[in-house]
Amino acid sequence: MSLGEEHLPPGPRPSAPGPTFADVNRDVIRTLGTAGNLYFAWMSVVALLLALGILAWTEQIYYGIGMGGHRAPQQWATYIVNFVFWIGIGHAGTLISAILYLFRAKWRTSIYRGAEAMTVFAVLTAGLFPVIHIGRMWLPYWLIPYPSERFLWPAFRSPLLWDVFAISTYLTISVVFFIVGLIPDIAAVRDGTTGWRRRVYAVLAVGWQGTDRQWRHYRRAYGLFAALATPLVLSVHSVVSWDFAMALLPGWHSTLFAPFFVDGAIFSGFAMVLVLLLPMRYYFNLYPYITERQLDMMARLILTTSLVLTYFYTCEGFVSWYSGEPAERASYLFKWVGVYAPWWWLQIFCNSVVPLVFFWRRARIHVPTLYVVSLLVLVGMWLERFNIIVPGLGHGFYPWAFGVYLPSVTEVAILVGSFAWFFILFLAFIRVLPSVSIVEVKETIPHPVRAGHAQHG
Amino acid sequence: MADGLDRRGFFKLVGLGSAAAAAAGCGKTTEAILPYVIPPAHLVPGVATYFATVCRECPAGCGVLARNRDGHVVKLEGNPDHPVSRGALCARGQAALLGTYDPDRVATPRLREGQGWKPIGVADAEKLLAEKLAAARQAGAGRIGLISQLETGTLGRLMDDWLKALGARPRVAFEPFAYEALRAANRVTFGIDAIPYHAFEDARAVLSLGADYLETWLSPVGYAGGFRRMHALGGGIGGSVIHVEPRYSMTAANADEWLVNAPGTEALVALAVLRILLEERLGPTLPAKETEALLAVARTVEVEAAARQSGVPVARLKHVAETLAKGAPSLVVAGGVAVTGPGATEAAVAANLLNHALGNVGKTVRFGPNSALGRASRYAELAALIRAMANGEIAVLLIKDANPVFTLPPASGFAQALAKVPFVASLSSHLDETAARAHLLLPDLTPLESWGDYSPREGVWGLMQPAMGPVPPLSARREDAVDLLLNRPGESFPGVQTKPTGDVLLDIGRALVPGADKGPFRARTFADHLREAWQGIAKATASGVPFELFWEEALRRGGAWREVPAARVTLQPGIKPAGQVPGLAGPDGPALMVVPSSRYYDGRSANKPWLHETPDPMVQVVYDSWVEIAAETARRVGIATGDVVRVRSPHGQVELPAYVSETLHPGAVAVPLGLGHTEYGRFARSVGQSALPLLPAEPDPASGGLRWLAVRVTLERTGRREPLATPAGTTEVDHEREIVETVAFDEGMAGEKAGGRPPAHANLPSMYPDLKYPEHRWGMSVDLDACTGCQACVVACVAENNVPIMGLAEVPRVPVLRAGPFFALAEQPNPIAYLGKWQIGYGRSIHWLRVERWWDRGHPPAGTAKPGGAPRARFMPMLCQHCEIAPCEPVCPVFAAYHTSEGLNGQIYNRCVGTRYCGNNCPYIVRRFNWYRYQWPAPLTLALNPDVTVRDRGVMEKCTMCVQRIIAGKDRAKDEGRRPRDGEIMTACQQTCPTQAIVFGDLKDGQSRVSKLSASSRGYHVLGELGTRPAITYLKKATKETHG
Amino acid sequence: MAEAAPTGVLGVFAHVDTTIQAIRELRARGFKGVTAYTPLPLPEVEEALTGHGLPKSPVRLFTLVGALTGTASGFALTIWSSLKWNLVVGGKPVVSIPPFVVIAFELTILLGGLCTLLALFVLGRLPRLHGSPRYDPRFTADRFGVEVFCPPDQLRTAEEILRRAGAEEVRA
Repeated sequence: MSLGEEHLPPGPRPSAPGPTFADVNRDVIRTLGTAGNLYFAWMSVVALLLALGILAWTEQIYYGIGMGGHRAPQQWATYIVNFVFWIGIGHAGTLISAILYLFRAKWRTSIYRGAEAMTVFAVLTAGLFPVIHIGRMWLPYWLIPYPSERFLWPAFRSPLLWDVFAISTYLTISVVFFIVGLIPDIAAVRDGTTGWRRRVYAVLAVGWQGTDRQWRHYRRAYGLFAALATPLVLSVHSVVSWDFAMALLPGWHSTLFAPFFVDGAIFSGFAMVLVLLLPMRYYFNLYPYITERQLDMMARLILTTSLVLTYFYTCEGFVSWYSGEPAERASYLFKWVGVYAPWWWLQIFCNSVVPLVFFWRRARIHVPTLYVVSLLVLVGMWLERFNIIVPGLGHGFYPWAFGVYLPSVTEVAILVGSFAWFFILFLAFIRVLPSVSIVEVKETIPHPVRAGHAQHG
Repeated sequence: MADGLDRRGFFKLVGLGSAAAAAAGCGKTTEAILPYVIPPAHLVPGVATYFATVCRECPAGCGVLARNRDGHVVKLEGNPDHPVSRGALCARGQAALLGTYDPDRVATPRLREGQGWKPIGVADAEKLLAEKLAAARQAGAGRIGLISQLETGTLGRLMDDWLKALGARPRVAFEPFAYEALRAANRVTFGIDAIPYHAFEDARAVLSLGADYLETWLSPVGYAGGFRRMHALGGGIGGSVIHVEPRYSMTAANADEWLVNAPGTEALVALAVLRILLEERLGPTLPAKETEALLAVARTVEVEAAARQSGVPVARLKHVAETLAKGAPSLVVAGGVAVTGPGATEAAVAANLLNHALGNVGKTVRFGPNSALGRASRYAELAALIRAMANGEIAVLLIKDANPVFTLPPASGFAQALAKVPFVASLSSHLDETAARAHLLLPDLTPLESWGDYSPREGVWGLMQPAMGPVPPLSARREDAVDLLLNRPGESFPGVQTKPTGDVLLDIGRALVPGADKGPFRARTFADHLREAWQGIAKATASGVPFELFWEEALRRGGAWREVPAARVTLQPGIKPAGQVPGLAGPDGPALMVVPSSRYYDGRSANKPWLHETPDPMVQVVYDSWVEIAAETARRVGIATGDVVRVRSPHGQVELPAYVSETLHPGAVAVPLGLGHTEYGRFARSVGQSALPLLPAEPDPASGGLRWLAVRVTLERTGRREPLATPAGTTEVDHEREIVETVAFDEGMAGEKAGGRPPAHANLPSMYPDLKYPEHRWGMSVDLDACTGCQACVVACVAENNVPIMGLAEVPRVPVLRAGPFFALAEQPNPIAYLGKWQIGYGRSIHWLRVERWWDRGHPPAGTAKPGGAPRARFMPMLCQHCEIAPCEPVCPVFAAYHTSEGLNGQIYNRCVGTRYCGNNCPYIVRRFNWYRYQWPAPLTLALNPDVTVRDRGVMEKCTMCVQRIIAGKDRAKDEGRRPRDGEIMTACQQTCPTQAIVFGDLKDGQSRVSKLSASSRGYHVLGELGTRPAITYLKKATKETHG
Repeated sequence: MAEAAPTGVLGVFAHVDTTIQAIRELRARGFKGVTAYTPLPLPEVEEALTGHGLPKSPVRLFTLVGALTGTASGFALTIWSSLKWNLVVGGKPVVSIPPFVVIAFELTILLGGLCTLLALFVLGRLPRLHGSPRYDPRFTADRFGVEVFCPPDQLRTAEEILRRAGAEEVRA
């Protein structure tokens, strides 16, 4: 018997052999029912943490960036770490919904909705950090090219401006993708509910009826979205990586960064997907849809990306040694043996060693293992960005200005707050929108036919 | 939400985003703007007027030009006409401005009332003082006393006449460093009680026995100038300098050879050198009699014994003798704290004998233009006064700009004696420890506001004129909208209302002395008195010139001077051989050296925050005082830098954080003087510790002077830690990184003679076409061979560019999520110092220019990873390099950083959103960020330079090469229809540099000095291999020392 | 008013194959206005409706136009604004193409995506306030619908066909 079933809460078992079309609608719409106390308990905890973060930010706005632990030479620190971290998280969703869609990987259907929601919310969280980070948070709109009264334009040579374009594009496209995928499902929810809920969903469903004409353009549009999103998802984290690669700093100035960052992003993204989906699967009893196959595939992806990441770590070391440049070597050595060395080695452990357990199939489908590994991966990936930014800046070209940065209470509070912000959005999502795609799941289960034999679409 | 953040306050706080946006644009000073009904004379709004006056921060008496903008002085600069400072100014001189704008200065007269003060009108105060004086006079002669600082000018003479007229005790002109050993030695050797002028500039070889002539000794700025002329390669002379001191002082660090000697053995070293010199007939031939006499003295020491006791090897001693003999005319000076202890006079005598034997007397050692310090009162006179005070013989004691309570060892009992004086009146403009014990405060105006004169040496009369009116009252300031939101009360300043001391003396004189209307006190005001007094100087310096013209000229030039010929002095017969040098008192332990600080002198500059926030040249520590302990001593006692050590002497004990030094002689520990004030304003109070409780009050028997090297001390660890704050990270010179470069002396000299070529790396290939500069390309050259690391340029930059004071950052008072450092803020004895220390120690200093001290251990021997050899200090002024291919520019998303058509690396504060990307991408880490909003409590706001924006929190800033001065210079040239002349535009750092290490100019003009220097054979670009093409060219330091 | 307003009839099916069969029948009998309702995209249904292969959708034209506009405007904006405010930074030319490529790329994707969305709504006739009155909520769950629009005189035949094909129910 599968490990999943031990966790099955009491309640209706999905009818063997597999769910029918009707089951799909029932099971998914069930998740939108009135929430229990547990849900509200979670909500209030998260809200409290969010309030804490907002308080810290308010104080920082008033007194200045000094409230953070920033200093020379580490004029960038945890805020940028969080930014890169969250953008990274935001990669799995589009990857699943776009690239795996193009590859026609059927196992994605039951998880892509959750992953897409995660993407949107992660990008929304990441988007906060540049604003939190800058010294005059009331002026970020100066980075947007608009015809100001004095015709002042932003400098398109700056990687930060590339960020502005990449992130906003990515957010827009992810949202569109998300919404388009939702329309038929919302229609299904509309038809499956009554009362005020029905009326609300009726509006959201923009009058979708599933006619052949709608489906025709829908399929084509969806395919094109996937085609557009695929290069985008690869470009976004490359652009983010250029914030560092375009700089002169030893340890940053490297052509390695783009693929390095993209891979890391996917790595952490899938970890986050697991962190979110496993509890959902348990509480919403989605075992028939999120099966061992899904878990297995995601574990495999995490393992692969982890191996690639390890390769990049090796390259980084080799290049800095092979360069023969003293500053470059010193900077890398500082990561190994310097003040921040423990964090460096913890990162290596989390990102390169821990995921190796997924070589064993039992681990790939064993829920607690999956969960622990995913959490460690998230920790490791946060640390990776920290270890690129903080020690890198702390050990640049000019020894007289070497220095050690320490995070401040404000920064920690804001980091916690950002997680709260992310989870509050996600918790809201799973209650109001179908977190499993009704339509696409149906594509993968036997279609009802009069002739006895099952026929797959 | 403990203190006072009620719900409403909280909502205000939450609503700040927009308000802050509104505030962001606002400048700092929003005061009421009032038009002039009748504009004051020489005051054109927006145009600076310069007034020549004298710097009174120390007895050196350098000439300064005070830059007056819109009615108040905003900057002090060296006066190029003045013969002492020759246009330069030291860090303390630059900071003198803050003395006038000190928020805690005594602005109006006060009368003691119990523990506190009550305000009193000027007239009443004067009346009260007159009454007390009259009463004291009735009681009998000698019941009135006056302690002043060294006043060699008209005010001094007026005081003396006045005291005589009142039948008072003679004035005590108290200077903690009165160099009595030198005077005693000169009496002994040449029979003249004076301190001569030392012509460093004319010497070719210098031997200094502990004299820190680049920091505080006699006339540091002037001597630094001389030192540069005789020593720097740039002058094409490159004389050799040898320094003998137990401590690696800044002066020692600038010498070619530094000989570490055991404390108090300078005499032995000097006599040994003398003996070698004479016995090996290295020097010029002298009359046989004199040679005999000198030998008689010299033979009292065995060279080997001297070498053994002092720890300076015989070979070295020989080398010193040869160097001195070769480099005629040479110069031997003895001084510093090392030469105040036992054997001080002997050392000074030996130095004199050496000078005589080398034929320097009259050449480089000039009696005639004697130093004013030779006229400071003997310590004995002060001691006598103290005794009289203690016996209740003194009825009225006046104190003017002297602070014996702080600068005398407590053992002297001055404070107790002072308590016995029934009426003490302080005429000082600051509430120092002595003034705080007075009964009446009748403050004088600060030097910048007053008439006066000061003669730093014979033949030089510096004239002081008011460069501004008394500081006006300033109403409570509201900085901006955010302030209004939190209803924070602004700072206000009452405004200075008092009477110049000179006027007070004249009035009282007229009042008390019958017939004084015709006598010495006939002048109505001190200004008139001064004018009269200068009639005499006019005759002496410019006979035949009408006085009016002379006076005008004197006011313009800042004084009058004439050449004083060197007086012939002869060797006195029967100079006693130096007896056995008495040992130091106290238990067996390291000798304590209490050294004058190059930042605080004897402590009178400790109320200037600019100096607190400027790192000590050698130790690179801000704000604090420390005890410098030799590494092996530290190892024995088991302490590391930052551990608090209990230093105990027979006279007392002090607890100080340790600074473990690799260079200090193990037989010594050193503590800088100047901190540990209990009064003296918010910036000085309870910062650091004073080491004076450890010292005895008994004078040196031989010379009668105060002893700063007098006891041995024991060290115990207390277990506490008080980390010293330094802006420096790693200071080990890494020869793989092109940062601090040196060149062997001979090679460097050859290059100077041969002329050079542009530095390598200057034009690394670029993918892009070279930039075009239509008009100018501003550039700079920094001669590391001339730079002494004195930090004067740093303070000048701070003063010119409105660089904020870290200690005055605005940090949470509302306890919402207080971040680490702010928890303890309220409980600190001095929150300003605490905050400043923390921020600067944490790399948040906003100094645009920093003078870094690096340790150079020589090039690593092949194969060894770690360089060997004793560390030698290297000084590195680092500022924005104004790169042509600047890494900071293209990363800015809003064009806040860009390249001007004149080659400057521009930074537009208003446009900056504060991404701090440029700061990361600058390989030199010279871009500075405004982490907080920084405050200027009134009247410090008046010290702000109106030509420079005051930056608000959240923006990046950095060196602009004083763009405001460039613009002013170009405008001036334009008005006169010409191009700016080379050297006409000077940056603040260049202007003040005592050794002219910094040269600024137009690189496009091939004839400009900077272009020539930039092409020097010693030239290089810092981190040039990065291809940033800096506009600043550094000139390598020429080194003579050999690394062992 | 030459002829009476076309009325319609709806057949509700429980199975994919029966639905397709019905559609084929109808087309064979020359019914033009046939609309299929399905809970999921079924290419075979669309094929059956056209009778010849998958129908082409003009969505991609929108995408292409949008994408090209994006590229063009990306370069236009960057180059024009740089010239408009020509500041030298880092010693580089005022108009430096490589960095501008990034901007152009992102705008390509952005406008391409937005135009595709537009296409979906325009061509798919969305949003719709009033759908077909015969629409059945089960069409988003597990039922398939075939709606026939035809002149009243043909209603009977259409119903006949739907029934024969195996419609659970047939509504006029």
